[in-house]
Amino acid sequence: MSVTDILEAVVVFNKVAVVENVKIAIDSGISIDDILNKGLIGAMDVVGEKFSSGEIFVPEMLQAAKAMQEGLEVLKPHLESDALMEKGTVIIGTVKGDLHDIGKNLVTMMVEGAGFNVIDLGVDVDTEKFVSEAQAYNADVVCLSALLTTTMPVMAKTVEAFKEAGLKAKTIIGGAPVTNAYAQQIGADGFSDNAPGAVELIRKLVAA
Amino acid sequence: MNAKERMDAAINLKPVDKVPNAPFTEAPVCQYFGSTFKASLLEGPEMLKAHMKSLEEFKFDWVMLGMGFIGGIIPEALDCQVSYPEDVFPIIKKTSVFSMEDIKRIAGKNMFTERMESFLEGIRLLKKELKDEVPIACEYISPFTIATRLRGTNEIMMDMYDNPELVHALQDAIVPLDIALGKALIDAGVDYIFYGADMECPILLSPKHYKEFVHEPTTKVCNELSRLGSKVLPHMCGDIVKTGIVDMLLKMDIHGIMPGNLTQEKVLDIRELKEKVKDQICIFDNINPNGPLLIGKPEEVAKETLMHLNRAKGITGYIFSTAGTSSPFTPKENYLTMDREVVNFQWK
Repeated sequence: MSVTDILEAVVVFNKVAVVENVKIAIDSGISIDDILNKGLIGAMDVVGEKFSSGEIFVPEMLQAAKAMQEGLEVLKPHLESDALMEKGTVIIGTVKGDLHDIGKNLVTMMVEGAGFNVIDLGVDVDTEKFVSEAQAYNADVVCLSALLTTTMPVMAKTVEAFKEAGLKAKTIIGGAPVTNAYAQQIGADGFSDNAPGAVELIRKLVAA
Repeated sequence: MNAKERMDAAINLKPVDKVPNAPFTEAPVCQYFGSTFKASLLEGPEMLKAHMKSLEEFKFDWVMLGMGFIGGIIPEALDCQVSYPEDVFPIIKKTSVFSMEDIKRIAGKNMFTERMESFLEGIRLLKKELKDEVPIACEYISPFTIATRLRGTNEIMMDMYDNPELVHALQDAIVPLDIALGKALIDAGVDYIFYGADMECPILLSPKHYKEFVHEPTTKVCNELSRLGSKVLPHMCGDIVKTGIVDMLLKMDIHGIMPGNLTQEKVLDIRELKEKVKDQICIFDNINPNGPLLIGKPEEVAKETLMHLNRAKGITGYIFSTAGTSSPFTPKENYLTMDREVVNFQWK
């Protein structure tokens, strides 16, 4: 048994094997940090690469994320309390007037899978809520999602509100109608057109 | 040629007098000309007013409808809880399929609600006014995409592995309902069924899953609507050429393909699509509705429009369009610029 077995089980979304392998790895004395970072989180990096290259698609990514979460549940009692928060805190939500959540959920799963502490505010989230929650959690990054072209202006309003509030949190945007040019136009700190890209962007912003 | 003759000629791969001009106009039209966005999406007389005003100012070769129909009216008729805000598209607040039992209930639904009838009345009013001079296209959705509305997208995507029987059963229940809706649209006066395959596109689903779950119900619906006399025009985002989805589409009785975006910022080069479909069906162009058209200046819109038109020059069965829904917040001067460039383009 090695962390590679855990990684491979997540990548092929064999949930039973993931849970079993994590249990065996813990009992075998493999470092908890390695199980988390090289096994579960490492697996989601591989899943992200496969998604970006068109090797897998949304159903497979959702299944892999579920497998990763089931492994994480087994691991959680063994983790230091702040082990999942040390990489940074990310607030995410779909903006006001928009109830679509598939993109947001994919990003949430991938960012959680990358070891960040993610606060998911859900859908139809107003600007004030984004700002107050970012303050409350001292968030590093705030992710705004929209699928409807009618709700894109809410992104601009929210980005503006963050600038006015003078918070440290960086704002990034994504969703079907959103482009990098739009992100630049409204003054967001970043844009990604897919969930693995969002993880990379968040890692860069947090490290900067 | 009038607009109907021009569009029909292009769809039938015959010569046209100038480029057929058929972008995804509905949202901007409702925003620019509607008494309210909501009313002009959904309510018969208000739909009529908005689209007729639009044709006075723009030179579109079709009237395009249906975003409220696919986003709100259909899911609501199938027991979803839907809200209809004044200034945005309808929003599904609660889905309606949680078990196989729910599918049995859905299968017996009478879909012709008051809201549905009001929408169909709008089509009849438009048809009466437009006669056979300007064709009417209506958005429509596939059984798979309806299934995602009723069950939830994440849920259906998980079901494809965890509960595939449910995905098949739900679509089996939807197929006859979808055909009945298509027939109602055609009877009301719709010329072109604008077949939205939103959730099965190759950005989201693998070609393997498309074949396993989507191809058969889609074929049943497309073939029947075609048999009923409509021109069936599937719209799908993602790389339908490289993934081979287009080969499966070509096995159906369809009349054209409307390719959507590859990503938010990239669109398919329609020359690749033409190479694939040859002279079997027509193709719609795909100027990015989220690019300069939405956030650029008129001169940038003109440049992009001309780039697309020049790239397409000489292609038979070519229709100018956008790659997807234009935002209602698209600046009107940008839409007018695009319209002007298409109308003035020297096609011959």
